[in-house]
Amino acid sequence: MDELMVQFAIEARELVQQSSKDLLSLEANPGDRESLESAFRAIHTLKGSVALFDFGLMQDVLHRAEDLLSQARSGRIDVSAALIDPLMEVIEWVEVSIDGISRTGHLLEAQDKQAARLLGLLDIELTEGTAEPAAASAAQVPEWALALQQAMVPSDADETLIAIRYEPHSECFFNGDDPLATISRLADVRHLTLSLNGPAPSPEDYDPFRCMLVIEAVSGASLKDVQAAFRLIPDQVKLIPLPKPMTERMSPVWEAAPAPSAARQRTTLRVDSARIDKLIEIAGELVTAKNGLAPLAFEARSLGNAALSRRILSSHHEIEQLVASLYTAVTRARLIPLEQTFRRFSRLVRETAPKLGKAVDLIIEGETVEADREIVEDLFEPLLHLIRNSLDHGIEPEADRIRLSKPPRGRIQLRARQSGDHVEIEIKDDGRGIDPDRVGRTAVDRGLISKSQASGLSHKETLQLVFAPGFSTAATVSDLSGRGVGLDVVNRSIQRLGGTIELQSTPGSGTTFTLRLPVSVSMAQLMVVEAGGERYGIPISDVVETHKLPAGAVQPVRAGKAYILRDRTIPLLYLAELLQLPEARLPADDIKVLIVRVGEELIGVAVDAIAERAETLTRPLDGLLQGVSGVLGTTLLGDGKVLLVLNLEELVQ
Amino acid sequence: MTVRLDDDSIRLIDQCGVEEVDVLVGYLEGHADLPVDISAATAIHTSLWQALMVFRRNIIGAPMSSLMADKVLSALQAIFAPDTQDGERQN
Repeated sequence: MDELMVQFAIEARELVQQSSKDLLSLEANPGDRESLESAFRAIHTLKGSVALFDFGLMQDVLHRAEDLLSQARSGRIDVSAALIDPLMEVIEWVEVSIDGISRTGHLLEAQDKQAARLLGLLDIELTEGTAEPAAASAAQVPEWALALQQAMVPSDADETLIAIRYEPHSECFFNGDDPLATISRLADVRHLTLSLNGPAPSPEDYDPFRCMLVIEAVSGASLKDVQAAFRLIPDQVKLIPLPKPMTERMSPVWEAAPAPSAARQRTTLRVDSARIDKLIEIAGELVTAKNGLAPLAFEARSLGNAALSRRILSSHHEIEQLVASLYTAVTRARLIPLEQTFRRFSRLVRETAPKLGKAVDLIIEGETVEADREIVEDLFEPLLHLIRNSLDHGIEPEADRIRLSKPPRGRIQLRARQSGDHVEIEIKDDGRGIDPDRVGRTAVDRGLISKSQASGLSHKETLQLVFAPGFSTAATVSDLSGRGVGLDVVNRSIQRLGGTIELQSTPGSGTTFTLRLPVSVSMAQLMVVEAGGERYGIPISDVVETHKLPAGAVQPVRAGKAYILRDRTIPLLYLAELLQLPEARLPADDIKVLIVRVGEELIGVAVDAIAERAETLTRPLDGLLQGVSGVLGTTLLGDGKVLLVLNLEELVQ
Repeated sequence: MTVRLDDDSIRLIDQCGVEEVDVLVGYLEGHADLPVDISAATAIHTSLWQALMVFRRNIIGAPMSSLMADKVLSALQAIFAPDTQDGERQN
């Protein structure tokens, strides 16, 4: 079965699911406008997809179903069991049909036979429809006017708006017409859309003196006034008074979910995250594929065709930029606001605090900051732990707070802000704080550090020991958060997300945990290389291009080595030497070179071999290795091996 | 001249009538990299807006006077929106 059909089956199943969900909620609540709109959209989209194939009468059945929903939208027919039952039957039929289609590639005979019966069902419905006289005029409202109405921010005021569709005559400029000026003379223009009355002409065919515009607008002026504005050109204008919003038909559910959310829903699309990941993967491959153009340009040049070379380079440059923005755009598609995780804590604090005999306010800020879906979802556990920690041990009981002349209600602030490509999340309480000396003593007691080590640590360093594995044990847990997980678990989960956690505390006035997380996890595309018998990862974004050159091409330059690349002298460094590996010797045969950009300079870094590419998450170094220059972090390969990820720019300097 | 070619932009100034559309199109064709600055225009004829739409040229500057230009501009941005990175509707 071809790819298109596979996609169809996936999408159609989703649409079937959506519309059956919508129809069910309509059945329970016939006034649910949002479900009606959603069902209409789902059927409409389904019909569009079906049109790509030949599935017999399915197209007609869906067209009929869409038509009915459209009439229900415009208020011409009622939403009732008489409407929903046949529609549900259609949906069930489509669902069964899709199963057959995805097996065989065509509509099975058994289903095909039922199409005519369904059409009949849908037909009866229409003639028996209980049209409301009040809304009868709405039936004449054409699609374009309804679309305009929907594009507008609905207003509560009980007023009639006029939808205007103005198709100026193509020669109108010669008559001295200025269509947009005409529109601008209208009173109270609420909305305006412009489009061309055909496909955009190529520059050669474009005649600037011919008008090709279609202007659509909505005005709050009276029909008479609008007619007056167009009195000279009535043949070019269609005016439709828009039906009033169906306030009298609104149900409580509809009121609870006002129009703006419906409008927002229209502009969002639910997509299987696996598809986005696929896109990100392809975009990542494009990043490397585009590098193939640079050598081509060089080859063209060496063959004496400088003009071709320049053209290739310029399209290389262009593609480079496009690929970069594509990559950014697709990674952004995975971002969701932190709100999804944050809002779960309000209830938690409200319910838990009284049980602990405390009065606590949770203040949430920056919940609109976005991060990768995976990060936002996986943040829940660690944040939950930190907030419980503050509730249990940070905030003092009310009586104690009053005694300490603190405000009786404790405060926990959960704040997020974006800084560059990172998100910073702060969990701050105004409780009793953590005593570094006590942390130090506990760490020594538990054998995490020696006494002399402890005395050498600053207060801040001492505090970070709470994240060490083995700091909190079962004994302390009962007096800590009582859940059997220590802060080391929090630390590990944050690290797994590519982030860091830091603790600051002032005894008596509070504790602040600061998490720093990448906005996106999918960025790390690594090139795996070998040098001195070891394997290392290098972010592909650091590598401008790769080369293979004969050992003879390398020239000694003073103490170092260099080679010529496209008329430029490129300093050549050997990775194994940079890393001070014992067996650092340049290979005698072909040398594999990665070209990296260090500041403004291009530098060649020779490696023994270039192995596979890997797309993984790089974790920052911790513990003893923290702060080692030239190493970005570590990553786990598919085979379970740990790979050091290098920062070539730092290494070279 | 109400359509002027500057180093960094094509500028529309004062009342730009239909007679200027040829000049504008000439500049749009000859200088694909330049944005069109409408901040000094007080009136822009439909034919010029149409040219900006056909060439999908980047428009800079807030329109000086009329509320209408604002509306036209956001209508144009709504059309261009799929070209922008985030593809969000701009109303």
